[in-house]
Amino acid sequence: METRMEDAMAKTNVRYCLKCGKCTGSCPLARVNPEYSPRQTVERAILGRKDQILRGKGVWWCLTCELCSERCPQEVRYPDFIRACRIEATAKGIEHMCAHGGMLAELQRAMTSPEVKQDRLGWIPKGAKVSGTGDLLYFVGCLPYFDVIMEKIKPDSVAIGQSVVKILNRVGVTPAIMPNERCCGHDLLWTGEVESFKKLAKLNMDEIAKTGAKTVLMSCPEGYRTLKLDYADLFGELPFEVVHTSEFFSRLIDEGRMKFDKSIDRKVVYHDPCRLGRHLRVFDAPRKVLSSISGVQLKEMERSRAEAMCCGVDAWMCNSNSKQMQIERLREARMSGADLLVTACPKCQIHFRCVMSEKLPKSVFPVPDEAKIDVMDLSELAAKAMGL
Amino acid sequence: MDEKPSVLVIGGGVAGIQASTDLANRGFQVYLAEKLPSIGGRMAQFDKTYPTLDCSICILAPKMIDCFRHPNIKVLAYSEVKSVSGSAGNFTIEILRKPRFVDAARCTGCGQCAEKCPKKIPNEWELNMAGKKAIYMPFPQAVPRVMTIDPENCLYLTKGICRVCEKLCQAKAIDFSQKPETVQIKVGSIIVATGFDMIDPSKFPEYGYGKYKNVIVSLEFERLICASGPTGGHLVRPSDHQKPKTVAFVLCVGSRDVKAGRVYCSNVCCLYSAKDAILVKEHEPDVDAVIFYTDLRAYSKGSREFIDRAIRDYGIKYIRGRPGEIREDHETKSLTIWYENTLSRKVEKLQADLVVLSVACVPRGDTKELAKVLGVELDEYGFFKVADPLYAPLDTTVRGVFACGFCTGPKDISDSVAQASGTAAKAAEVSMMYARAVPRAVKKGG
Repeated sequence: METRMEDAMAKTNVRYCLKCGKCTGSCPLARVNPEYSPRQTVERAILGRKDQILRGKGVWWCLTCELCSERCPQEVRYPDFIRACRIEATAKGIEHMCAHGGMLAELQRAMTSPEVKQDRLGWIPKGAKVSGTGDLLYFVGCLPYFDVIMEKIKPDSVAIGQSVVKILNRVGVTPAIMPNERCCGHDLLWTGEVESFKKLAKLNMDEIAKTGAKTVLMSCPEGYRTLKLDYADLFGELPFEVVHTSEFFSRLIDEGRMKFDKSIDRKVVYHDPCRLGRHLRVFDAPRKVLSSISGVQLKEMERSRAEAMCCGVDAWMCNSNSKQMQIERLREARMSGADLLVTACPKCQIHFRCVMSEKLPKSVFPVPDEAKIDVMDLSELAAKAMGL
Repeated sequence: MDEKPSVLVIGGGVAGIQASTDLANRGFQVYLAEKLPSIGGRMAQFDKTYPTLDCSICILAPKMIDCFRHPNIKVLAYSEVKSVSGSAGNFTIEILRKPRFVDAARCTGCGQCAEKCPKKIPNEWELNMAGKKAIYMPFPQAVPRVMTIDPENCLYLTKGICRVCEKLCQAKAIDFSQKPETVQIKVGSIIVATGFDMIDPSKFPEYGYGKYKNVIVSLEFERLICASGPTGGHLVRPSDHQKPKTVAFVLCVGSRDVKAGRVYCSNVCCLYSAKDAILVKEHEPDVDAVIFYTDLRAYSKGSREFIDRAIRDYGIKYIRGRPGEIREDHETKSLTIWYENTLSRKVEKLQADLVVLSVACVPRGDTKELAKVLGVELDEYGFFKVADPLYAPLDTTVRGVFACGFCTGPKDISDSVAQASGTAAKAAEVSMMYARAVPRAVKKGG
């Protein structure tokens, strides 16, 4: 993991940039924010204008969605470069965009203390079978916290966790769940607080070891990426396998263990979360789960799979540009002919629900209703189709 | 071995034709093996050449005919090289001659059979933008001028019914009894001139090729703008056959692209796209032509002047920037191109009705198999590897086997032809050294 701009320049192919601008022509943010251009950031780096980058706003605007690096002919890994710049800017004490008044970040930082004791099991549905140890650990992520902090928009994030547990029980699996699970550290890492990230990672690794898990199941793609790539970067090869719910469900379907006996008669479109899709190349598994549900008519958006557009927010750093992008993405979902938008990322879901709950000025969004669509997580829909 | 020293040329494009004719004029016996039913290669598909704006087939066709009629050249069209043994000075080659099911000695190429043939199939030579019949002439200027029956689509050969062509043919040229035939030849040296293919444009989903009808590749544009092409040379877009208002050309699609495995520059796109844009203007002066480029690589004499002419005399607009993505308006089928104008440093979008992608040029699809047969090495991109890029750019890694034109890496027509003449000289040297008889030059076309 690179923590300085210069190191990142060597590792992320920044110096090979052709200055062709394909990144900026692809960037969803650059279309709504004329001040932003990945190519020009790279150009500044090559010209040695380090201060301009580290003290500029652009470094915090990047969505790290990887659409630019997906298309870059020179394989410049721009989001990784940006991450290193954020880490260095933070180390230098440069202040940055503060998300939600710093509340989420403060909560995440609080969890870095080994003394903090949490009770994270209150959301587990009555009668569900869970355990402290076991082969399969369900790493829940911050779902219960989201429900409290984002209460206003009714994210109902724990419904995702509840669906996962119910499904696991139905297929005969008693998952281990950690009462003192920590934040995975994703947001702190991507906002430059690498030391806090390392503390969280260490605490989680120790907790996971105590459960004896061979498989760690994730329903959050950000956590999935963080454990699978960033923990592995930190600790070397992990002593357990990390899988996302969509992949796990897809396996269960193959083994004939997951059966959908309730028909869901809806036109469904799937939104690829950046971390699950482009970062970890999981495109087929969620679609396979959806198309295994009877009654579901699976649609595709104009931009899907590796071409998918980001939900507009990275590490909760949200602004009016995010809203514009979200509206655009929701419109695209509606245009596909679907009446239900399914995603496999609790955060994408929150961001979409958030923008739909807002009263946006008519001058900005003339027809906000065009962008209204039901949003649900893949696990929830799967549970419904199993009659759970 | 023949009394005359002999050479096998593989590939009947402009390079193969040039090498064959050079050698034949010096009195060598030449076998020219071409995979397709006609010689001509890529150049036969182009509408015009740059920088002179000559009609491509008009300058190539006489060369094709000269080559075919040359007493020292045996054109083995519709044939594949199956095996090679021996060494420099003494190669034994087995060539598979595919059956045309038409007697070449009798067929006059009148085409009546094709008119009445009931089976319509896609025309690959026209990049599937037009159809053809199961009995066909590959293109109007094809050489040899012999009809060919497609065995996979002919109703008689697949289902045992029809035989309309046979009943109709006054020359009695249809012969369903033809079988694949293997001929053996002995030569002193071999020249490879197999040319190029294009990278699969669906590798770039951001540009929508295959999904959006009005996104085409430049070879398709060549056929589209060509008077003998599928639209009779009318500039129309594929979705509705209407004249476009704006045509955009996107360069470097897969070229200079590490991700696509093509780090090299395809060498010809900067110039041919200027030529294509000029053709747009010559056909329809009121249509806008826009070229998206990464860097203008117009390095040879006359090239920069050609591009300047495109800008100054024809009003072609150049934008520096590789577009990020192209999206279709589902109703109008027009396209929005998103790009950063890297000179004005602004993100902009352009509405175009037709987009032409200059996709990377790559080795022919069957290069690997041919290399195996010849025992030669390929380079990291799958082109034929040359023995030394500086001192032996025409030698392959096997003595007595030479290569010219695009099959060793990107080259334009003029460079390919120059190389072809070079390989002819090299091959002549090897073949002569081992031959018993000394060749006697014959008059060109004599």
